[in-house]
Amino acid sequence: MLKSTLVTAGGVAVANWGALFHSQTIAAEAKRSGKRCIMLYMEGGASQIDTFDMKPGRPTGGPFRPIKTNVDGIQICEYLPKLARHADKLAIIRSMRTKSVDHGIGGYHMHTCYPSSEKFPHAEIGAMIAKYCANPESDLPSFVKMGTVGCNAGSGYLGPQYEPFVLGTDGKLPGFANPSAPPAVQDRRAELLKSFEERYARQRPAEPFASHREAELRTIRLMRARKAFDVADEWTKARDRYGNTPFGRGCFTAVKLAEAGVSFIEVGHDGYDSHNDNFPIHKANLSVLDPAWSSLLQDLQDRGMLKDTLVVWTSEFGRTPAINGQGGRDHFGRAWTVVLAGGGIKGGQVYGASDRDGFEVAEKMVGEGAYFATIYKALGINHRAKHYLGSRPIWATPDGSEPIEQLLA
Amino acid sequence: MNDFANAKVLHTLPWNSAYITSLAFIGNDRVAASSKNGEILIWNLAVPAGKTPDPVRRLLGHTNEINAILVTPDGRTLISVSSDRTVKYWDATSAQGEPGSVVLNDGFLPKGVTEKVDKVPPLPPPIEVKLIVQKPLRVLTNHTEWVLGLAQTPDGKTLVTGDDQGVIIVWDLPAGKERRRWQATQWIASLGISPDGRTVAASQHIPFIRFKDGMEIYVPQFHLWDVESGQSKLDLRKDLGKDFPREAMSAVVYSPDGKWLAAAHGKLGTEKTQGKILLLDPATGKKIRDLAGHPVGTNDLAFHPDGKHLFSCGRDQMIKIWNLDDGKLVRDFGKFADRGVWISAISISPDGRLLAAADRAGQVLIYSLTT
Repeated sequence: MLKSTLVTAGGVAVANWGALFHSQTIAAEAKRSGKRCIMLYMEGGASQIDTFDMKPGRPTGGPFRPIKTNVDGIQICEYLPKLARHADKLAIIRSMRTKSVDHGIGGYHMHTCYPSSEKFPHAEIGAMIAKYCANPESDLPSFVKMGTVGCNAGSGYLGPQYEPFVLGTDGKLPGFANPSAPPAVQDRRAELLKSFEERYARQRPAEPFASHREAELRTIRLMRARKAFDVADEWTKARDRYGNTPFGRGCFTAVKLAEAGVSFIEVGHDGYDSHNDNFPIHKANLSVLDPAWSSLLQDLQDRGMLKDTLVVWTSEFGRTPAINGQGGRDHFGRAWTVVLAGGGIKGGQVYGASDRDGFEVAEKMVGEGAYFATIYKALGINHRAKHYLGSRPIWATPDGSEPIEQLLA
Repeated sequence: MNDFANAKVLHTLPWNSAYITSLAFIGNDRVAASSKNGEILIWNLAVPAGKTPDPVRRLLGHTNEINAILVTPDGRTLISVSSDRTVKYWDATSAQGEPGSVVLNDGFLPKGVTEKVDKVPPLPPPIEVKLIVQKPLRVLTNHTEWVLGLAQTPDGKTLVTGDDQGVIIVWDLPAGKERRRWQATQWIASLGISPDGRTVAASQHIPFIRFKDGMEIYVPQFHLWDVESGQSKLDLRKDLGKDFPREAMSAVVYSPDGKWLAAAHGKLGTEKTQGKILLLDPATGKKIRDLAGHPVGTNDLAFHPDGKHLFSCGRDQMIKIWNLDDGKLVRDFGKFADRGVWISAISISPDGRLLAAADRAGQVLIYSLTT
């Protein structure tokens, strides 16, 4: 766990704490943006036909039925009844066409906007948003992950300061962040350590010591901020609304972290890879997703945070319209669905369409580039921001990627 | 003892429009099959030698997948349960209805739902068959979600159904009246009722693919319930210990003589399972022996009327016959037409002379079991 959360560079722990690596320029950009993002990632590939692009009466339709939402003309799955009351917040993109249709490569592509076949250390969307939206004064990490999210590309070329901070599936802090000693004892230990280190530093004023000291400071800042991760008391009141599941708790924690100032929080909901028994599996998963996602949107709205918090619902790909001989649906990237909501997004709309059986995009095809560019623009990030790995330039989205203006508020 | 060495395929009945979910004999010479698209077809098997039976009746009324069917012991009523949340009673014997037709070999399963139509091998031509279309006699709407479990007592007096909200309902079968209901904690995946009507065995689960920390509450359950009180009499998950799977039981069946309770390990999603079949003491729930079953999951079970054999089918495309006394495999029938799809359901005629088996490619095979 330690290795995955605090990446070591030159022997120094360098997780993504805001101020320490931010330039004044970036800090100024962040102040302009003031946005954040919560990404709900359906690991394994959620079925578009069984959620947001239903085909009732068609051979590919399956047993689920559509229901009305609070937006005339938009129907979604009957097993998302709570979310149906928030359709006015949703922009449903029914015309995704993506190229990487297996778990590892799909997860990578839908987290970085680039195919893994390029063999380049691309940055995850969370790292990009952390770089441009994080509050440089925050004690909290700026890029947080919970649950299984299907990608471990991390910060890539953006550098280790934007590496994700990984929580448990249910949003709880890893064990190392919860010292057993009481605060008073920790303070005494810190003072003792400080006196030893000051004496040592006077004798050896070298750069490595400064790095070591910075890492230590970051750890102390986490200890100071860790109460933001402790939602146990509030969770007892919220769990009936969110559903008493790890994903439900993860969504509640995401709201709390966003409120505390974390720029990007990804919450994974795994178990969608339904090559067999697609329908009972999806029905069970939607019973977890529906209360959690709808409560997240409601709480963001109630706290006045929704206008500045982009909520993304996505997977590595969709699932085939075809229902195989095992009652399952397989991997599918030709015409599937993602959903955006909240900050920067014009809700209450469906963008694009698949054909009548769902095999092909019928209108307004959306690729990875347009999808990422739209997210970045909604958050006030230049989707063509240029970075370098050594002397090699790399952009936030590939050449030709353009945001979808119709989706933007 | 019958070793079924001479068992052979008598008829191959095409359907094809959706995969077949359940089978039931009506008497000894008719068979009914239910489908995922909510239809039931009935074939009269008494045809001259060399002729393939055509379906003679089509039962229409369900609006979603039919999950199970059975025929009452007197052969007069067919009962179906569906994801349309209803239980339906049908006249199993009447030839009265509206004239209609059905298209067999319509090509739907091989090519109707695939984006790779050009890779589908040549298909047999479609066949339109004239038949009688019938509607249900009675529709019971006491369940509010998918009705998945269905069983009856051998005297035909008691019916039990279970849904994915964990509701188990015991019915006065002839009257179609609810006698008792209780609430279990998870989906009812499969259930059976003891011949005396006093105990319901129900396997429960929440069909998540993966289990992780914090999800212990979703570990599948398997209880014996007292019908009179609606209370759990035995928690078989505790009793079975390491023999209890992470998946639900795909089939739970009492033998008609009440001597055995058989439960089959199913499979969900991509989880691994051994597909074993457990033979339990119906009174104590203790395991008597386990059968090797079907790798990657057993789908359905049926006791032979001779009281000595259990038939099973599974995701390995096989039908297997087991000796109840020693648990040994008597024989299997080889891969079922080798179509690459599961065998989803089996049923044995009341006289034990015929076996019907159906696959997820929409085909029913009728086997002769006579020596």
